[in-house]
Amino acid sequence: MTSGVAPGGGAPASVGEGHVRSAAPRRLNPIWIREMQQAARFTMTPILLAVLTSAMALLLCAIGGIASVSTAPAEVGHVLYQVFFSLAYAVVTWIAPAIAASTVASERGGRTWEALLLTGMTPTEVARGKFLAALTYIGAYVVMLAPVGALPFLFGGVTAVEVVMAFVLLGVFAVLGVAFGLSVSARFTSSAAAVVVTLLVSSNLSIAGYLGLGVGISFGVHELWSGVTAGAPVWMPTAYVRGDFGLEYVAILVFAPLVFTLVPAWFLYEGTIASMASPSEDRSSGLRRWLMVCTPLVTLACVAALPVAPSDEFAAAALATTVLWTFLTFAVFVVAGEPLGPSRRVRVRWDREGATRLGRYLGPGLMNASTMVLGLGFGALLTVGVAGVVLELWRGGPSAEVDALRVALFTAYVASFFGFQVGFGAWCRSRAGGASLPRFLQAGALLVAFLGPWVLMAIAGLLTRGADGSYVVASPSPVYAAYMMELVASTRPERESLLLAGVVAALGWLVLGVALLGAAGRRASKVVAEHAAAIARLEAALEAEDAAAREEVEVVPSAPGVRGPRELA
Amino acid sequence: MNAEVPGESRFVPAIRVRHLWHRYGAQDVLRDVNLEVRPGEIFGFIGPNGAGKTTTIRVMATLLEPMAGRVEVDGFDVSVDPERVRKVIGYMPDHAGVYDRITIREYLEFFAQAFGVPDLAVVDAALELTDLRNLQDRLVAALSKGMKQRLGLARILLHDPKILILDEPASDLDPRARIEIRDLLLELREIGKTIFLSSHILTELSDVCTSVGILERGRLLVAGPIAEISERLAEQRARDAYGVDRAVAPPAAEGTAEAEGGPAVGAEPSEPAGPSVTAGGAPVPGSARRRLKLRVLGDSRAVVPLLEGGAGIGVVEALPAGQLAVEYVGDDRFVADVVRYLVGRGVGVVAVEPERNELERIFLEVTKGELQ
Repeated sequence: MTSGVAPGGGAPASVGEGHVRSAAPRRLNPIWIREMQQAARFTMTPILLAVLTSAMALLLCAIGGIASVSTAPAEVGHVLYQVFFSLAYAVVTWIAPAIAASTVASERGGRTWEALLLTGMTPTEVARGKFLAALTYIGAYVVMLAPVGALPFLFGGVTAVEVVMAFVLLGVFAVLGVAFGLSVSARFTSSAAAVVVTLLVSSNLSIAGYLGLGVGISFGVHELWSGVTAGAPVWMPTAYVRGDFGLEYVAILVFAPLVFTLVPAWFLYEGTIASMASPSEDRSSGLRRWLMVCTPLVTLACVAALPVAPSDEFAAAALATTVLWTFLTFAVFVVAGEPLGPSRRVRVRWDREGATRLGRYLGPGLMNASTMVLGLGFGALLTVGVAGVVLELWRGGPSAEVDALRVALFTAYVASFFGFQVGFGAWCRSRAGGASLPRFLQAGALLVAFLGPWVLMAIAGLLTRGADGSYVVASPSPVYAAYMMELVASTRPERESLLLAGVVAALGWLVLGVALLGAAGRRASKVVAEHAAAIARLEAALEAEDAAAREEVEVVPSAPGVRGPRELA
Repeated sequence: MNAEVPGESRFVPAIRVRHLWHRYGAQDVLRDVNLEVRPGEIFGFIGPNGAGKTTTIRVMATLLEPMAGRVEVDGFDVSVDPERVRKVIGYMPDHAGVYDRITIREYLEFFAQAFGVPDLAVVDAALELTDLRNLQDRLVAALSKGMKQRLGLARILLHDPKILILDEPASDLDPRARIEIRDLLLELREIGKTIFLSSHILTELSDVCTSVGILERGRLLVAGPIAEISERLAEQRARDAYGVDRAVAPPAAEGTAEAEGGPAVGAEPSEPAGPSVTAGGAPVPGSARRRLKLRVLGDSRAVVPLLEGGAGIGVVEALPAGQLAVEYVGDDRFVADVVRYLVGRGVGVVAVEPERNELERIFLEVTKGELQ
């Protein structure tokens, strides 16, 4: 083999001269560049792009040709606009996650991940590179499709701004899709498994989003702004142009999209980075910052939705509370992956960097995370509950006080049950070795709590021949909170006892949750203390060994020709 | 980091493993492993499959958190300062993956940028060192296994690490590629790298390693320079055989030629001292006997009588093509005496080699062939 070593054993030009790692930031993310180089050599890419574009153009031309025989051109243009962007939405929400899903998982499956980690690139840099690469790839699809999107112009019926806004929204969906695919990819070692899971979830989300947020909401928006077509799935870009500016405009077209985009996108980003980091790293702070900011944001969105609710304010308040509870339940599942305490590495870093109390609180630790979720959750539910009660009383009317009581009872029950969820989740995590089992148990507990009491009530109803008192058996179910709302205005003779049962059940959940949280705290403290003691013992043993070795060196005479034990070793 | 600790007259080991334990499930895969690798060494890490070599290496490479114990690389604790450790190591796993649809140069440039190397000229240097310059525009997918191993070595040299950690670098390579990798390792040692490598191919390790460590069932059985281990084992054998220190033991081995003024072997072929029993008649343990292979000019059968019955000489067997297998008890000086003796008797000695590689002998002696 030809050697690059200089005569005399010296090194070649650079290797062996001791590089100093560059402190300057990299201009372009190397992963992005490499992924693009690889993609450029993938011969199927241009073929796929050409086929997709051709198929889309042919489809639109066919629809336009057929429809223009009996329909006004402007209407045809609008139909083509809906068809094109519906198909583009499908392409983006299916392909973008699938492309991103294979990125990190393929590094792991292809055994290149460790080489990448050892370069010193942070998970954030890796995630950004992968994100940009996948986004560039899906961007190529959108750019190729763009000329086809101009076809509706030939017929009229849509404005340029509406088309541009639709492309902007397509871009937002692409970002979310890529972020979702990447977050799934970061958790898998098999590229195929990551793609399958991503497609399963993203396809369902895509369809649900299309029907719910698209077709479904378009009817409500049409009632608000008649210029927006009812039943048209691509309503939002047209609403930006055709909607009347006001509170609703800001709430529906500015605030809500921002919340619906930022909250999941930020979570997916933090989740991806946490999944890519080593278990000994601080994988908690990012997610906790997200929780700390997004909980108030979601709460605000829920409170803001109350005044614009069309009817039944107490129902709107209950819906807002349910949405908030869903978000908080998700947070409990996230916290179930929390380690019992910070690793030695994290603690050493905190000490070196002089981390603040807040910084340490946001760091790894089950009890910190649980108390934070509990505090934020109670605060958020209280805010929505108080807002609902105040709104009911402010609007007045004959049933204002009753409706206010309904909202208060519902929110109180939900908050109590949430307290149990946090306590149970923390207790499960404190007894388990990983995050999967606590999450599984948490899901099981939810299912049992929601359905179990109603099954028992049905059995009790059979035994008592349908007596209303049998409803008491269902009181531990969180669904009973909705039943309590109905009971408040009821004139049944068992009303008082049934309401009391609900209150007792709610208090029971809360007490149980607090007790479990306390038990989790004791367990976590014990484990953390044992871990710290083990490290201290090791440190002491190593120090003693070092001291003995030093002593040995000193005792052995170092006369000429006599080598000390360390030298002999 | 300086290699020498201020105020102390000793070097910081390149790698220091202290009381390392690791467990997968309920099974301990590493049990109190302790070893040190000094700067500039080529340390061979040997052990049967499942012994815990890769686990140890992955801990050193910061890819696995040790459950107990401490591992320091260039003075940095892998558990606390993985980023610093990553700057000073180059780790090449066995069966490492590569990015297929880019060229060799693009591959190395990518890693150079990922490492944050300020000057991409280092890619040329790495290409030169690994002899890949002529192939730099070839797609990685088109490379042979051996070339990919070289590319892997080029990759881990880009940030100029002090310590190279190589897990089975020669596995699945053809003989030529193995020789090339071995030569490359020697070149890297020449330019001051410390190399820690695991391998199953003991003969290759003995060619390049300055020290070895043998791991079995998660325990480090022995570690140190090959000659030193060999010496220790010989002493142990002597102790086991005679119950006394080797220095006062009576076997006719140990290069007595110079002390006695002439070669022990053949001087008196009729001497009764054979290799299978001691002077006192105690049987010599089998592991104390070694075998030597000689190749001589002419018919090897004619040489057999010259050696048979000599002090320290056991069974002598004539083999085809002028070869002889000689069983003996002794060290390298004894072998030299044998050769000198034969040459003095007019025998043309063409080649001398131990029948079994020294490292293989050590390995077989200290391991029990147990799997975990």
